Amino acid sequence: MTTPHRSLSRELEGLWARWRLRRCQRIGAAPTVLGRVWIHGDGQVQLGDRVVLDGRLAPIELHAMAADSLIVLGDDVAVEGGASLEALQSIRVGPGARLGAFCKVMDNQHHPLRGNRHERPPSVPLVIEAGVTVGSRAILLPGTQLQKGCSVAPGTVISRRIPAGVTVGGAPARVLRREVAG
Amino acid sequence: MTSRIPSVALPAVLEQLQALRKVVQPRALRAMALARARWLFRSVQLRGHNVAAYGPMAVQNDGIIALGDRLTFVGGMMPSSLVCHPGARLTIGDDTQFNYGVSLEAWESVSVGARCMFASFVRLGDRDGQRTAPIVIEDDVWVAHGAIIMPGVRVGARSVVAAGSIVTQDVPPDTLAMGNPARNMSLELVARETGT
Repeated sequence: MTTPHRSLSRELEGLWARWRLRRCQRIGAAPTVLGRVWIHGDGQVQLGDRVVLDGRLAPIELHAMAADSLIVLGDDVAVEGGASLEALQSIRVGPGARLGAFCKVMDNQHHPLRGNRHERPPSVPLVIEAGVTVGSRAILLPGTQLQKGCSVAPGTVISRRIPAGVTVGGAPARVLRREVAG
Repeated sequence: MTSRIPSVALPAVLEQLQALRKVVQPRALRAMALARARWLFRSVQLRGHNVAAYGPMAVQNDGIIALGDRLTFVGGMMPSSLVCHPGARLTIGDDTQFNYGVSLEAWESVSVGARCMFASFVRLGDRDGQRTAPIVIEDDVWVAHGAIIMPGVRVGARSVVAAGSIVTQDVPPDTLAMGNPARNMSLELVARETGT
């Protein structure tokens, strides 16, 4: 049983969170927004149900840079402060994933290794599947595909496919542990 | 009966206003950035022309800081910081660009060449608790997100320091340094395209 004033305050909190997320194209049920959340760029940002954006430590940046770029956060995704998602094409975060503090997710290198450094290389869509845990200060470069249930240690740099249920760490990333089924 | 109000095509006017905003806004931001840089770098001895700071910065100058022309400091979620301790020298060449959260700390000497690019959260400090040794970054170097450059390191011209790497040894020119600790590999031999 909830008292009327409590349910009213919850209602107002929900409205306030929706107002903070007004730049998103789709917001699911019961979003939680704490601290500062920056959503900019011309592209689409879509949020699933019960998303938690905790920007109290540092602002969370969701940057869909181009007009056709797409950032999708699935249901129950939790993002900690200082996380920065920069999409030029698409970043998809699956349900139940957690992104740690100050982690950087980008689907474009922004500068080519060789040639003219002021033109953009092609972007590669980036996928984080369901139940993935990304540690703080991890860097996910273009080409990353974190498969179901794998976890990423803090400070790891990843730019390729990580199989399901594997724990990776280090720079460049190495497998720390393989999860046995169950 | 004709309307007394002259017909104004409202969508066209709005479109023109949008276009005007698109032209004016970057210039206004640029002017603000130049003015902010003048204020932030007021204690800097040698300051080039057209130094722009698009966000807040922490500048502490007890030594000698020399900034080149046309520098850009981008603003973002964390302020960049420039620290120069007494008797130290911090030199930055022309046309160098800094993203947000960059921290440069000089106890003895840090010098950055021309046309370098520093991504967000890069750290350069020439003292690490064990030793103090000068850092030299030559021209056209690209240091990617979150890299840390340790004391006594010389990064050669046109080299790239990959994201998240910790550079403990010298990097020759035209080299990619990546990993922790950073390994050097020739840029000509790095064949891997992104995402493969």
